[in-house]
Amino acid sequence: MTDNDQSREMPFRLNRRQLVSGMVSLGVLAGAPVRSAFAQGPKQVPVQGGDFAPLPIAIPNFVAGTPGDAEVGAGVSQVITNNLKRSGLFAPIDQAAYIERISNIDAAPQFQSWKSINAQALVTGRMTRQPDGRLKAEFRLWDVNTTQQLTGLQYFTSPEYWRRIAHIISDQIYERLTGEKGYFDSRVVFVDETGPKERRVKRLALMDQDGANVRYLTKGADLVLTPRFSPSTQEITYMEFGQGDPRVYLFNIETGQREIVGNFPGMSFSPRFSPDGQRVIMSLQQGGNSNLFVMDLRSKSTTRLTDTPAIDTSPSYAPDGTQLCFESDRGGKPQIYVMPATGGPAQRISFGDGSYSTPVWSPRGDYIAFTKQGGGQFAIGIMKTDGSGERILTSGYHNEGPTFAPNGRVLMFFRDPGGNGGPSLFTVDISGRNEQRVPTPGFASDPAWSPLLS
Amino acid sequence: MKVKVDKTLAASIALHVLVLGWGLVSFSSRAFEMAPEDSVAVDVVSDEQLAHVMAGSKTGKKENPKPLVDKVAEAKPVDDAVGKVTEKAPVITDTAPPPEPKVEEKPVEKKPDPPKVVEKPKEEPKPIEKKPDPPKVDPIAEAIKKEEKKPPPKPPVQAAKPPEQPKPKTERTFDQSKIAALLDKRDPSRQAMTGETLNSNAALGLSKGKAADNSATWGALFKRQVDRCWKVPYGGIETQNPRAIIDIKLKRDGTLEGSPIPEEIPATPYLRVYQESAIRAIIECQPYNLPQVYYDEWKYFAPVFKPET
Repeated sequence: MTDNDQSREMPFRLNRRQLVSGMVSLGVLAGAPVRSAFAQGPKQVPVQGGDFAPLPIAIPNFVAGTPGDAEVGAGVSQVITNNLKRSGLFAPIDQAAYIERISNIDAAPQFQSWKSINAQALVTGRMTRQPDGRLKAEFRLWDVNTTQQLTGLQYFTSPEYWRRIAHIISDQIYERLTGEKGYFDSRVVFVDETGPKERRVKRLALMDQDGANVRYLTKGADLVLTPRFSPSTQEITYMEFGQGDPRVYLFNIETGQREIVGNFPGMSFSPRFSPDGQRVIMSLQQGGNSNLFVMDLRSKSTTRLTDTPAIDTSPSYAPDGTQLCFESDRGGKPQIYVMPATGGPAQRISFGDGSYSTPVWSPRGDYIAFTKQGGGQFAIGIMKTDGSGERILTSGYHNEGPTFAPNGRVLMFFRDPGGNGGPSLFTVDISGRNEQRVPTPGFASDPAWSPLLS
Repeated sequence: MKVKVDKTLAASIALHVLVLGWGLVSFSSRAFEMAPEDSVAVDVVSDEQLAHVMAGSKTGKKENPKPLVDKVAEAKPVDDAVGKVTEKAPVITDTAPPPEPKVEEKPVEKKPDPPKVVEKPKEEPKPIEKKPDPPKVDPIAEAIKKEEKKPPPKPPVQAAKPPEQPKPKTERTFDQSKIAALLDKRDPSRQAMTGETLNSNAALGLSKGKAADNSATWGALFKRQVDRCWKVPYGGIETQNPRAIIDIKLKRDGTLEGSPIPEEIPATPYLRVYQESAIRAIIECQPYNLPQVYYDEWKYFAPVFKPET
C-alpha cells in the first residue's frame, strides 16, 4: 500500500480502531468475527422491511436438580413464559410442540429439533435444592439459528422466592433479546376496591407486576388514594381521608409503620417522591387554590415551589431530579407544565384539544405520560418532554392514572368501564400496540409501579 | 312444439354460456394476485442470452459467426467493427519537438526535464572546440602530399577542412503520453451496423461489455426469501435508524458457506439485537433460490438490513 493510500484511508481506520477498542473494553465484542477494516467489502444489496414480530421462544420446564424440584422447575418456566408473553415482544411456543426433552442443561441442545418448531431462542434451566436448604437456579439462553449461548447465569435464593428468581431470569432474557432493560422484577402498589358501589372499601394493596403475591397494606377503614413508591421500594406515600382533612402519609412496607408528612393547615394531596427518595413533593390547599410544596423528609423543612391563584397539582420529577412536570389550570383548563425543580417559571407543554392531567415523567426521561379528557372520553397518552410527539395509547369511557414500568417501555393505568362494574388495571406498551389486563383479586385503581427490586 | 323446445334449449345454452363466461372472467385468478414487488422493468431475454450479451471478455474467442447488426437495412457489411475507423481525425505523430522554454518557474522539486538532454547534443558539436582530427585528413590530399614533396605542404585549407559536421539527428523520442493520441478512442461500433437481421451479440471485448450487475434482480428474490424469517426486534417508537450489513457466502445450492459475518460493530444494545435478528433470519431461511446464471454475483455479497422508509 502506498503512502498515498494510507493517508486516504486513515480517518476511516482510526474510527474503526477506536470503535473496536471501545467495544472490546465493554466486553461486547466477545470474539464476534468482524471483517477487517481494509478488506474490500462485497456488493451490498438492500433488504428493506422486516415488520416487527414477536420472537418465537421455547421455554421448556426447568430441569429438576433433585427429584423434589420438578414442581418449582415447572413453575419458574411458567412465570417466565407468562412474563415474556405479556410483554408482547415474545411468542412463547406451546410446550406440547417440543420435540427434544431437555434433561441436561450442561450439554448443548439439539438445535435442529428446536429449529423445526420454528423457535429462534431457547431457554434451558435447572432448579436444585442445595444441602443448606437454599435453591439454586441456573439458566442458559440459546440462539437456535447460530447455535450460540447468548447468556447463562445462576442464582441462589430461599425456596419461597422462586417467583422472584423467575422474574429476574425473565429480565435477563428480555434484556439480551430486546436490547432494553427488563421490568419484570418489580412490584405494583394499587388501591384494591371491594364491595358494592355505594359502600366501596378501598385498601392499599401490593403485588408483583404480574399480579401474583397480593398483600393488603391497610384495612380499609379509611379512604386511600394515589399511592406512590419511593425509589428504595421500601416506602409508599399516599393520601388518606382520615377524621379531618385528607393528608399525605408515609408508609413503610416492611414494618407497617405510617406517619403524616408535615403538619399543614388544610388538605395535602397528590404526593410523590423525589428521585433520590429524600423529599416528597405534594399539593397543599390554600383556599380555593392549591400550590406545590416540597418537603425534605429528614429536616422536615418545606419549600414552596409555585404561588398562583390556580390549582397546581400532580407533580412528578424528571429522573435526574432537575425538572418536574405538573398539572395546572392557570390557563383556564387543566394543562401540563414543566418547571425547574427548584421553582421558577413554568412552561406549558400540552396544547391539544381537551384537558390534560396526572402527568408522570418516564424513568428513562424521554416521555411524559398523561390522562387526557375531551369529547366525553378519557385517554392515556404520552408526549415528549417538550410537548411534541403526542401519542394516544388507549381511549375510552374512563382511563386514568398512568404509571411507568421501570424501563419506561410499558405503562400501567386503570380503566373503569362504567355501569355497575368497577375499575381494573391494564398495561400498554408505549407504542400502544400491546394492551394487557393485569389480574387482580377485586376491582383495582390508582396503580403505581415500583423501580426494579434488584 | 318442436320450435318451442329448441327456443328454450337455445335460451338455456345461451344463458349457460353467458353465466359460465361471466364466471370465467370474474372468478379468474384474483386470489393468486401477488402483492406488487419493487422490481426493475426487464425485457424478456433468457438468462443465457443476457449473460452472453453482458459478458465482455478481452481474451474470448470470436465465435460469433454472424456479423453485428444494429439496424435492419440494406446490408452494408462491416467485416470487423474493431479497428475499423472511418472518421479518424488526423493524429499528429511528430517527433518530439524540442521543449519550449518554460517561462513558469516551477518549484525546486521539479525533476530535471528529459527534453533538456535532447538539447545537449545540439550544443556539443561546436566546430571551434573540436580539433580537426589528423586521421580525418583527406587520404587523397595525403597522396598528393607524398607525390609532391617539394612544395611546402600547403595547409590543407580546403581539403583538410573537416567536413561540416552533420547536424546531430534529433532522436525520435518516444513519448509515452502521446500513445493515447495515436489511438482512436471512439467506440468502434459507433456506426450502426446494418444487416438483414438484428444481432446485438456484438464482438467480445467491446466497451459495451461491462461488469455484470444484476443485483436488482436476484437481490429482490433474496429479500423476499429472507424476509419470511426476519423477526425485527421491537425498538420502541423512536426512530433509531438501525442498519445491519452482513457479509454472506453462498454455495451454488443456495445454502450458506460459513457463518454470516456482520460488517459493523453495533454501537447500542438495540443495534446488536437488530443485527442478530438479521443473522438469525439469514440462517433460518436458507437455502436461497437464486438464478444460477448470476451465481458469480451472489456467491458473496452483503445484504443491508434496514427498516422500510
